[in-house]
Amino acid sequence: MSRAPARNGAAPRRPGDEDDICPVCKSSRYLNPSMRFLVNPECYHKMCESCVDRIFSHGPAPCPVAGCARTLRKARFRRQTFEDLHIEREVDIRRRVAGVFNKREEEFESLRDWNNYLEEVENLTWNLLQGVDVKETEKKLDAYKRQNEQEIKQNAAIESQENANTEAQFAAQREQARLRREAARNEELDERREKEEGRREMVDMMARGDGDADTIARETQKVVLKKSTARRTAAERSRQQAAAKVDNGAAAPLFSIQGLKRVVQPAPEKEYDPFGGYVIKHEYYYLRDHYEHSWLDNARSDAQITAGGYDVREYCARAMMEAFGGLGVFVEDEIREREEMADKGVGTASAAAAGGGGGEGVDGDVL
Amino acid sequence: MAMSPVVTYDSTSNIKVTATKAKSLAVRTNSISKPQNGSTSEPGRGQELAERLNDETKQKYVKDKKLGEGTYAIVYLGHLKADPSSLLAIKKIKVNTEYRDGLSMDAIREVKYLQELSHPNIIALHAVFSSKNQNLNLVLEYLPLGDLEMLIKDSEGIRYGTAEVKAWMGMLGRAVWFCHENFVLHRDIKPNNLLIAADGEVKLADFGLARSFSDPYRPMTYQVITRWYRPPELLFGARFYSGAVDVWSMGTVFAELILRFPFVAGNTDMHQLELICNAIGTPTEENWPGVSKLEGYLKYDKAATIPVRGKDFYLSKFGTAGPVGVDLLMSMLALDPRKRCTSREMLEHKWWSSEPRPTAKEDLPKKGGGPERMGEDLKRRGGEIEDGRGDRVARKLNFGVAKS
Repeated sequence: MSRAPARNGAAPRRPGDEDDICPVCKSSRYLNPSMRFLVNPECYHKMCESCVDRIFSHGPAPCPVAGCARTLRKARFRRQTFEDLHIEREVDIRRRVAGVFNKREEEFESLRDWNNYLEEVENLTWNLLQGVDVKETEKKLDAYKRQNEQEIKQNAAIESQENANTEAQFAAQREQARLRREAARNEELDERREKEEGRREMVDMMARGDGDADTIARETQKVVLKKSTARRTAAERSRQQAAAKVDNGAAAPLFSIQGLKRVVQPAPEKEYDPFGGYVIKHEYYYLRDHYEHSWLDNARSDAQITAGGYDVREYCARAMMEAFGGLGVFVEDEIREREEMADKGVGTASAAAAGGGGGEGVDGDVL
Repeated sequence: MAMSPVVTYDSTSNIKVTATKAKSLAVRTNSISKPQNGSTSEPGRGQELAERLNDETKQKYVKDKKLGEGTYAIVYLGHLKADPSSLLAIKKIKVNTEYRDGLSMDAIREVKYLQELSHPNIIALHAVFSSKNQNLNLVLEYLPLGDLEMLIKDSEGIRYGTAEVKAWMGMLGRAVWFCHENFVLHRDIKPNNLLIAADGEVKLADFGLARSFSDPYRPMTYQVITRWYRPPELLFGARFYSGAVDVWSMGTVFAELILRFPFVAGNTDMHQLELICNAIGTPTEENWPGVSKLEGYLKYDKAATIPVRGKDFYLSKFGTAGPVGVDLLMSMLALDPRKRCTSREMLEHKWWSSEPRPTAKEDLPKKGGGPERMGEDLKRRGGEIEDGRGDRVARKLNFGVAKS
C-alpha cells in the first residue's frame, strides 16, 4: 500500500516508537500518556487525537502528512481496530463490498452459480484492494448498488435478523450456564451447612446423654444422608424447571432453527380453473346446431331415443371431429411432447412413503 | 375410436396434450428404431414382429409383489427394469371363463379407452403386453393413497369440508368432461373407482364398462353403472342415452361426499327406483316428456306421485354445499337427462368460482389406503359392488383362481 506512512524513511527508531510518537505533531506518549491515535479511512494516515482536533475542527482540511493532501473530515476519523493498517484497510473495503454484494447462497440455483458469483465478487474486491482499475471497479459497484437497492436492503435485513437470533441464542446459553453454576454453588453451601448442623446435633445429643455414642453417630449420619438426597433431587428438579423456563423464554420470541430453507413468499394464487388448464377447440370447423339429414330425423323425434337422453348433436359433433380431428396432428410431435410430459410424472418419493412397504427410500419418477 | 381433437394445454405451461393413438404408435416406433435389441436376443429371432414387440415391452417391466387378487384380475406392484425406483401397478387380467376364445370385453374396453385418454385426472396406461397363457397385462400408473370411498367412509378419522368436496368434484368433473369431450362414456363412476395419487390428485380408473358414444339407432345396454349410481333412464331400460348418465353418477358421488353415506342405495333395481322417487321425485310425463315410452317405465299412481323436490329440500339436506352448490347438485340430479347439465356445463357452473376456493391437492385429507387398496380397486370388475355393500349376487364360482 503506497499511502501508508513511510516507515523506513527517517532516522532509525526504537521498536514501538511508531506507536508512541504522533507522525504529525511528533509529541510522544512519554509526554502525553493518554495519547490516542486515529485514522481516516480516506487515506489511513495515523495521527493523534489532538492533531485531529486541531486540524479538522473547523471543517474539512487536507491531510497533513506530506504528499497526501486528501481532504479529510473529522467525523470519519476513528480508532483503528487492527494494528496493521493494511489489514484495517482491507477489512474496510471488504465490508463495504460485502454490504453491496450481499446475495445469499439460497438465492442461487446451484452451488456452481454461487461459487461463480463469489469469485466475481472477490475479483472486484481484489481490484479495489490492489488499486487495479479502481475507477472502473467503483463504477461497477455503484451501478450494481443502484440497480439492486431493494434486494440489498432485504438481504441486509435477513442477515441482521440472523445475527440477532444467534446472539440471542448465545445469550440464552450463557444465562443457562450461569444459573447452573449458581445452583451448584448454593447446593454446596447447603450441604456444608447441613453437615455442620448434624454434627452440632450429635454433640448435643451426646451431651444430653441419650443413648450411647455409636448409635447417636449412626443416627445423625443417616439423617444427614437422607436430607442430602432429598435436597439433591429437589435441586435437580428446580434446575430442570429453570432450564425449561430459559428454553421457553428464548424460544418464544426468537425461534430459530438452523438448516431450514427459507420459505419463498408464495405467488398470489391464480383463479381456480375448473377445466384445469385444458382447452378443447376445433381449429378446422364450426359446429352447427342443426345438420339437415333425413336419416337423423327419426332419431331426433323418436321419444324412445330422445327420452333416454340420446342427443343427435353429440353424434354430429363426433362425426365432424372424426372428419377433421386428424388434420394438423403430427404423430412425431406428439410423441416428443408426450415424452416430455412423462418426465414430469408424479414423483414417487411421497408415493413410497405413503405406500409403506411399497418401496423404501425410492426416489424418482413413475416413468 | 375417434381421433383427437386439438387439445391444447393452457398457454402458460408449454405442455400440450393430445389424446391419440400416439401411445401405441410410440411403442412401435421406439422398438423399431432399435432393431438390434430384437435381433441380438436369441429367442427374438424368427419370431413375428408382433411377438417380438410384445416381448420387448414385457421385458421393460418387472413384477414385484402381489397387491390384490379378484376373479377378474390380479394386481401386482411393479417397476421398470431400467429404473428400479419407479413404481407401477401391473394389472393382469385372467383368462375369463366366459370368454374362453378371446379377451374379455372389460379388458378390451379398458385398454381401448385408457390408451386414448391422457389427462391428469384419468389413470394413465403406460403399456400393454401379454404374458404366458395369453394373459393380458396392463401397466398402470401407481396410485398408492386409496380411493374416495375410503375417505367418505372413515367419518371418524377424516374430516373434510366444502372446499375439499369442491376440489374432489373438480377433479372428477375434469376427468369426465375429458372423456365426454373425446366421446367416451365411462359408465361406472363411483367413489371406489376414484383413486388417489401420491400428490392427492384424484384419478378416474376402471374403464371396464366404458364405450364410445353410440351412433344413431344403435342400442346400448342399460345394464351398466353400479346400481347406487345408476340414473333413472337406465333403470327404465333406456337403450339410447348420452353422457348424462355419467353426470347423474357424479351427482350421486357429490351427494355422497357431502352426506358421507350413499345417497340412494337400493338393494334391487326396483328399490333403487323407489328411493330415487322418494329422494328426487317421481318421473312423469310432465317433468320428463317421453319417459313413458321407455321400455321399463313403470306407471305410477297419480296419488302416489311425489312431486319433484324443490330447492328447500336440497338445502336442508345438503346445506353445507351452500345455495350455489345445491343449485349445481340439483341440475346434476335432474330426472330428465336432457335437463341434466352436461359435464362441460358442470365445470362452467359458478360454484367453482364462489367461496370457498377448492383446497389445493397437496392439502387434501389423506388416509393412505396403501398399495393393497389399489390392488382391491383394480381387481374388481366393472359394475361390481364390494362384499357387504348392497347386492350379494353370487358370482360364478371360480376354481381356476389358484392355478392361474
